[in-house]
Amino acid sequence: MATARESGRLKESGKVLDEATRKRRARKALEALELDNFHEDPHADLVMSKKVPKFQETLDNRSVKRKKGKSAEYYKQRFRKTFPQLVEEDRNYNPNPPNYMSAQAAPSKCPERRFCAVCGFPSTYTCVKCGARYCSIRCSGTHLDTRCLKWTA
Amino acid sequence: MDYDDVFVLDNGACTAKAGFASSDDARIIPNCIMKAKSERRRPFIGDQVEECRDASGLFYILPFQKGYLINWDVQKNIWDYIFSAECLPVNFPETPVVITEPYFNFNSCKEAMTEIFFEEYDCHSLLRINAGDLSSYHYFNTNQNSLCCLLVDVGYSFTHIVPYIKGKKLKNGIRRIDIGGKVLTNHLKEITSYRQLHVMDETYVMNQVKEDACFVSLDFYKDMKIAQKRGKENTIVRDYVLPDYTSIRRGYVKDPAVAPSGEDGDQQTLRLNNERFTVPELLFNPSDVGITQMGIVEAIVDSLSVCPAETHPHLYRNIMLVGGSTLFPGFRDRVCKEVRTLAPCDFDVNVTLAKNPITYSWNGGRLLTQDPEFSSRLVSKDEYEDHGYNICLDRFDV
Ligand SMILES: [Zn+2]
Ligand SMILES: [Zn+2]
Repeated sequence: MATARESGRLKESGKVLDEATRKRRARKALEALELDNFHEDPHADLVMSKKVPKFQETLDNRSVKRKKGKSAEYYKQRFRKTFPQLVEEDRNYNPNPPNYMSAQAAPSKCPERRFCAVCGFPSTYTCVKCGARYCSIRCSGTHLDTRCLKWTA
Repeated sequence: MDYDDVFVLDNGACTAKAGFASSDDARIIPNCIMKAKSERRRPFIGDQVEECRDASGLFYILPFQKGYLINWDVQKNIWDYIFSAECLPVNFPETPVVITEPYFNFNSCKEAMTEIFFEEYDCHSLLRINAGDLSSYHYFNTNQNSLCCLLVDVGYSFTHIVPYIKGKKLKNGIRRIDIGGKVLTNHLKEITSYRQLHVMDETYVMNQVKEDACFVSLDFYKDMKIAQKRGKENTIVRDYVLPDYTSIRRGYVKDPAVAPSGEDGDQQTLRLNNERFTVPELLFNPSDVGITQMGIVEAIVDSLSVCPAETHPHLYRNIMLVGGSTLFPGFRDRVCKEVRTLAPCDFDVNVTLAKNPITYSWNGGRLLTQDPEFSSRLVSKDEYEDHGYNICLDRFDV
């Protein structure tokens, strides 16, 4: 979906990525570094076998006398909050530093270093179309053929 | 004391370090549920993954997001496994529990944790504490003459730099860098997939590649030059043999001194060159991958800048490295070298890497249970029932 939208806009803008698209690309690359999986759940289409012990059964096997436990589903409902919700909540609950937000390391004072988007070695050139770095004609060719204006990242 | 043993759980985003204080060391249990393509009807909880015959394309379900406990149903399932007869059975009504949580934990996460341990597990008593507090306890316990400790904890989700002055953390000085083992593995996956082989679905294997082959460079641009050389002059490049789960169960770095033989024909290998050191480099230069935060050494100096001047010589002399990602070869030397260049020259700089950086905090918890003050830090089940959650707010310094 994103591919279609972007390639549409690229045609209009004369095949040079605008600042907003470059920023969105960069943000997507950062978000990808936080992902747990890139593929779909391989069991998604399955109903779990009855042979798999239910978690609650494992608990009941213990000799410990205990009241009937709540299901995992209960905890999912009871404490359902996303990470952004928690951060927002913390803004109100702990408005004064030090808190989660204030603890974040500030931007570095060192100048940014530049590396080739293809091979990872130090680079001196910048792609005029998308702003990516490259180090040589060879890497520039690879970049243009693979990622530059194509949505592969 | 009306208990015999204490259960210590350093509940990390990647692994839970768990065990009774009476045991020699923690058991390290992946804090996640994994699903394999090869075993279509069985999820693997925690260290059950060791029974998985083919770990290619493992799918992860994690209780943590960005270092904070978010998916409570997942965590509850994993805890139920950890505390079961299959793993480390706990008789909760007679067992105090020490459990860790991250710095600046969110209020509702703290409440949820408290509720589960008192109302669901019925534990005897509870101490919720930052993992870093346990590490600093460990440090002061083994370095009795030290007044301060600057803790650098490189975890799975993030890195924290925390000054401890006379045993207490200076919250103002805490610095968080949003890079840990997870970002490093994902970055290695990304560049490997673009440059040579699609491994985006192979987190489990690529994490092993990272652990086996990556190192922290002591001279980044010099190593870049070496990695650009061809043939024997390139002393950095290595081939990594990937597991095929028939004859090779775990991948490994090929010995560069051994010439290739005919037997290697079917092996699938990755060629690792600058990837070996540009990946851990992100911890020192997050901006290399576009994360606009200071690296570890810059953040150490920044953290110190808010500490009282008279503590500075003590903090520089007592820098302690813990957490799984400090295990890269060269990590300690790099921190030492760079801090040395930035610290005032009349100060000693002393950087220690924990003997076992993964269980250092857990072992701090084990030592803490022997502290004469320990039982006064616990909240008992009776106190919780009488005073509710508020007593935890008063007693726990998290
Ligand atoms: Zn290049
Ligand atoms: Zn381009």
